[in-house]
Amino acid sequence: MENNKSNIDMELETPVVGQVKSRKRELLRLLKENKLAFIGLIIFVIFFITALLGLLLTSGKEPVFDPSMVRLQEKLLPPLASPHLESLRPHEVPKTGVYVFGTDDLGRDVFARMLQGAWVSLTVGFVAVGIAVLVGLFMGGIAGYFGQKYIGLDHIIVVLLFSTGATLSLTGKSFTGFIVIVIDLAFVFSLALIRWKSRKSRYFKWLDLLRKKTLSIDTLIMRVVDIMLCFPSFFLILTVVALLPASIYNIMIVIGLTSWMGTTRFVRAEFLSLREQDFVTAARALGVNDYRIIFRHMIPNAIAPVLVSATIGIATAILTEAGLSFLGFGVPPPNATWGNILSDGKRFIFDAPWLTFIPGFAILLVVLSFNLFGEGLRDIMNPKLRERH
Amino acid sequence: MTIRRVLIYAPIFVIVFLLQSYFWVPTYEEQSRGNPDRLNEYIAASIGDAQILNPVLSSDSASSQIESMVFEGLLDRDENLSFRGRLAQSWEIFEEAFFYVNDSSIIPGVGVADADQIIRFLKKEQHSKIYKDSSLNASLNNIKDISFIPSDEFVVTKHAESPVKDQKYKEIKIQVSAPARLKLTLARVDQDLFQNLAKILGDDFFNSFQAEKYINTFQPLEEEQFSQYAKEILPSTEQNPVLIFHLRPNVRFHDGHLLDAYDVKFTYDAIINPKNLSPRISDYEPIKTIEVNDPMTVRIVYKRLYSPAVGTWAIGILPEHLLNRQSLRQEAIDAGRDPNNFSMRESSFNRHPIGCGPYKFREWKPDQYISLDCFDDYWEGSPNYKQYIYRIIPDLLTQEMEFYAGTVDSYGVQPHQVKRLKNDPAYQSFSGLSFGYTYIGYNMRRAPFNDVRVRMALGMAIDVEKIIKYVLYGEGERITGPFAKQTDYYNHSIKPISYDPEGALMLLKEAGWERNAKGWLEKDGKRLQFTLITNSGNDLRKSILAITQEAWKQIGIDVRTDLLEWAVFIQERVDKADFDALILGWSMGIEPDLYQIWHSSQDNPYQLNFVGYNNPIADDLIVKIRKEYDHNKQVGFCHRLHDIIAKDQPYTFLYVPKWTAVLDKKIVIKETDLKGTIVYKKIKPTKTGSYTFHFNKWIKLPEAPDFDPEG
Amino acid sequence: MLSFIGRSVIQKIVTLFFVSIVSFLIIHMAPGKPSQVDPLNPKFTPEMVERFRKEFHLDKPLYTQYFYFYHDLFTGKTVSWKDNQPVLAKIFERFLNSLPLFIVGTILTWTLSFPVGIRSALHRGGLYDRSATFFSYLFISIPGFFFAYILIIFVVNSFHVPVIGMETFGLESLSWQRMFMDRIWHLLIPSILGATGGIAVLSRYVRSQMLEVEGQDYVRTAKAKGLTAEQVHYKHALRNALLPFVTMFGLILPGLIGGSVIIESIFSWPGMGRMAYEAILARDYPIILTVNFISAVLVLGGTFVSDLLYMVVDPRIRL
Repeated sequence: MENNKSNIDMELETPVVGQVKSRKRELLRLLKENKLAFIGLIIFVIFFITALLGLLLTSGKEPVFDPSMVRLQEKLLPPLASPHLESLRPHEVPKTGVYVFGTDDLGRDVFARMLQGAWVSLTVGFVAVGIAVLVGLFMGGIAGYFGQKYIGLDHIIVVLLFSTGATLSLTGKSFTGFIVIVIDLAFVFSLALIRWKSRKSRYFKWLDLLRKKTLSIDTLIMRVVDIMLCFPSFFLILTVVALLPASIYNIMIVIGLTSWMGTTRFVRAEFLSLREQDFVTAARALGVNDYRIIFRHMIPNAIAPVLVSATIGIATAILTEAGLSFLGFGVPPPNATWGNILSDGKRFIFDAPWLTFIPGFAILLVVLSFNLFGEGLRDIMNPKLRERH
Repeated sequence: MTIRRVLIYAPIFVIVFLLQSYFWVPTYEEQSRGNPDRLNEYIAASIGDAQILNPVLSSDSASSQIESMVFEGLLDRDENLSFRGRLAQSWEIFEEAFFYVNDSSIIPGVGVADADQIIRFLKKEQHSKIYKDSSLNASLNNIKDISFIPSDEFVVTKHAESPVKDQKYKEIKIQVSAPARLKLTLARVDQDLFQNLAKILGDDFFNSFQAEKYINTFQPLEEEQFSQYAKEILPSTEQNPVLIFHLRPNVRFHDGHLLDAYDVKFTYDAIINPKNLSPRISDYEPIKTIEVNDPMTVRIVYKRLYSPAVGTWAIGILPEHLLNRQSLRQEAIDAGRDPNNFSMRESSFNRHPIGCGPYKFREWKPDQYISLDCFDDYWEGSPNYKQYIYRIIPDLLTQEMEFYAGTVDSYGVQPHQVKRLKNDPAYQSFSGLSFGYTYIGYNMRRAPFNDVRVRMALGMAIDVEKIIKYVLYGEGERITGPFAKQTDYYNHSIKPISYDPEGALMLLKEAGWERNAKGWLEKDGKRLQFTLITNSGNDLRKSILAITQEAWKQIGIDVRTDLLEWAVFIQERVDKADFDALILGWSMGIEPDLYQIWHSSQDNPYQLNFVGYNNPIADDLIVKIRKEYDHNKQVGFCHRLHDIIAKDQPYTFLYVPKWTAVLDKKIVIKETDLKGTIVYKKIKPTKTGSYTFHFNKWIKLPEAPDFDPEG
Repeated sequence: MLSFIGRSVIQKIVTLFFVSIVSFLIIHMAPGKPSQVDPLNPKFTPEMVERFRKEFHLDKPLYTQYFYFYHDLFTGKTVSWKDNQPVLAKIFERFLNSLPLFIVGTILTWTLSFPVGIRSALHRGGLYDRSATFFSYLFISIPGFFFAYILIIFVVNSFHVPVIGMETFGLESLSWQRMFMDRIWHLLIPSILGATGGIAVLSRYVRSQMLEVEGQDYVRTAKAKGLTAEQVHYKHALRNALLPFVTMFGLILPGLIGGSVIIESIFSWPGMGRMAYEAILARDYPIILTVNFISAVLVLGGTFVSDLLYMVVDPRIRL
């Protein structure tokens, strides 16, 4: 994470090399000082490696550890139990020689499942948060940078016509939908034509009505955020997940699409203040185009805190997935996640407590490390607080 | 400094206040031991709350559980699953059959005959000693009485669907001059009557009856429509089973009102009233008329032969005096609602039901509990438990903890818990076959499932014995066909498919599927690949999903799996028949009526033959079973049908699960024998597997009694 | 001020309107349609399913259904499709059940967060601060149901008292004090579970606010004046640090109708969350939409109240 930032800084200010090094070192020093965050980072890295290993070792037709291998006669064996070799075919014997984490109610190797689950849980967390951050950056960036632009009546009409057309054609009335879209295109075309011609003509004065400013982009986006915030988020996720077919992608998308609002607000505020900064004004005065300003100057400056909150977001997403699994809407089999290993295991809490405690503590540990690391980073990066010590 | 003190003491105060409440709470021991009333309460735990406590309207299992306590039907099933009278003391079933005199058909040996001649002919045949085949003989001997219905003239109004959309129905008036008709009263219902009579009256006697001759319409009609109406109004033959119930005298509802035949009729009217949207309407649709002969006798006439009809009268009888039109009107007015739009569904009765069952309703706290009191005037004597409480605890683990603590007497115990509790001296455990089975259904409209060899091979690749042993902890049995295993209808001579992956591969090879270099099965370069789905929220099915996927993978089938939320699963996939293979279960009644699930006419979207099973011989048997009132004959048909279905393998029949139950040993059966002494007996499930059969005699004792080894 | 109120109210109403449309669309576009009949029961014919559709106006076009629904909602006539009970009465009943949980949870959150947060700020980087950080994150990192099961098993096994439900089952004959205390006890564990997240977040927030204020010039001035540390921290710093929290009172409002499905199912608490969850499974649209609508009203009302409070409290803001 800190690597990221310094690279960005380098591009930004093209400072002297020594300064970068000292900044980097300074960050590292602060991180080391903040022991909790440092431990968090270490666990985070270990988890990451485990997940990658998990992906390598558990996928393919004949994986090293097969998480979906059912050995019914070996069910509910405690951790470190050795397999009953006489009842197993050679390829069914776990490669580790013992069941490191025991077996579950179908005799599947919990260790293999946890390995696979590490990767899946990590993906769920990363993709969901990735979606949220991207959407948040996009919406927040537009609202912050182009917020003062206004939307004309003509835009609204075009969008409305288009969406009606699209809805109609998607709901079966494809012909009517097609007509509506054609009308829409004709409308756009004629508007452009008229606009081009009407520069001199006085006939088209009434067209100004169409160009009447209705509301600013900023207002629009912020109202959309307000609307999204009106839905209780877990409840919304639950509604959508219950209604959509359960698949790992849907779950990632849904968690992502219901958690971008915070980032949007944050990025917007950042952009609003960055807009007024001298280096942006200067860039603009030099005639640098908007996109370059956004991507080269503003996003790099706004991204660090966003990434910090994303770290915590990943933790939340993993927990959300576990909660959904508890209600039976989590990632469906054959994908194992820590969440669904935990919620499948809870039935056997008295018979096979390891099925609950291993994934439970694993989730606890990883989520905690994400949280502590994120919190530590936030603390370190807050210059107001740093100065004091 | 005050702020600081407030900041420190406020949370301490809050926490201390919250924690001290611990000392006021009775511990579990105090609760279950210290309170003698607890012995007179039976507390059952359930995952879900009831929806609507009205037997006519409800369709969920929690509601029907409560309804079975509060309401009572005319009859029910006894320990051996044969009918037993409850509110009805006795009943009789016979048949009235009708046919029109066909004056254009020639009766062998008699010629064209009028009604009188036919009566004489039939009577003569009944008494003649000339050799006839036995089934004809039986049909003839079964006729108790033959009477004559003279010809008649009347006008019928039919409502035809108008061709113009959005317009009201078109009325068609039809002038009918019905010919003379004969009425045969039979001692028993006989589905072969007309088939047999045709042997002596001539093969064409019934078929060639031309109803069109006797009707006239005032408007011109299409020919097809016309002959359809003719057949509807003047059916050549008609068989009307008649069911007469003699009610038990002096049975009271919980409010003291006496039960009579009008309540039975009212229950029927309530079901059939379209405003009530009763989910049971299809059971009662075959009823032609229902009449009250006297306050203790109801006479029900059916439109056609429909043998499951008797069993439908196990439905709880509603009190007419509380729900008739005037009462509902009054209730609507009191509640400030529009009386014309107020149906029984909205009545507060559904949340405060009154029936004549062994327990009367006391209180319902939504999502907490429903409590019932014993009914002292219950006709069979008041039950032993003074209170029945139905607690709603949505989490299975929490249920289990409450059970250990003694605040719940029974709960939805899982097989793995039974295994653990079986050896505990404090508990008694039961298990028995349940009415239902789990299966894998194949969409037979799609390749490769249209090939019986493939379906058979898929079944052979699954080790069901192992699933039963390890997943169900032995609490299940194999099943080979669609009938309840504990009934006579089940054909025990059919052997289940044995686990044989090699054999499966051979069968698949026969069907053209061979293993390729990578080990996947292939035919014409295409992999054997499909998706197996089931609903989420059912752990057993999820396990079977994983096991089956793995088992099929072993023989080289590339199976994807999907778990879908129940409503989506049913409405998007099952109803629309949009699936390859699915894991599902049927819970069934005792009646062997398979029409909806297996008849080929029922394979359209939204119908229950979603696998698309189509076998004309099976269809014929299914219809025959439906029409047969004689138990032994029904059993014969069922065995044949079972055999056919087992050969066709439209499903891989997996297993019938056993229900499991664990009770405290202190709960026993308490009976008073003739001499007035009290006898305690151990609770035992009946032969057919119902341990709650004698529930009304159960009681909890302060100490677990010792029984003789034989019980 | 008045114009701000006016503008803001109109804005909220427009937002509410869009919320109502969006939620309506989500529900109706999604697969699975409501029905009181179980489609897999052989006794139910397709015609009956069709009749139910008619009864619920499901055969009408969407905008008509939208109109019907909100017309019924505002005239208070909506009934649940599951059991024909009036929706508002049902929600109110659940609301009363959820209310004590909410109150105790909120009290716990707000009374505990401040001392914890302030102390960590004053001893920044110290052992106390670090353990406070650690534990507050520990509690929000445990999957809720895992934590709940551990707590239940622990309490039941070591204290042998019931913790499930709203009150100990079958206590009618006890004095009212015992009944009351019994209820408090049953509130304890679920509200602790519900409050842990809040305590963690809020105490972190208190801490960072305190830290920020402590760095301000007026606090330095106060220190330089020679005031005691206590006076500096609790009088000068805390007061200013508290400002933003006043506005957070408005944001508590939506919690009134929320409720955790998971905690409520585990503790068999008949609250809002469970009702809404069951409504989702049964596709009981009136309940889902009404709960959603009320919660949207509360969210919007909450932000409105907090904006107002902010204006009242902070003289720098005059919109």
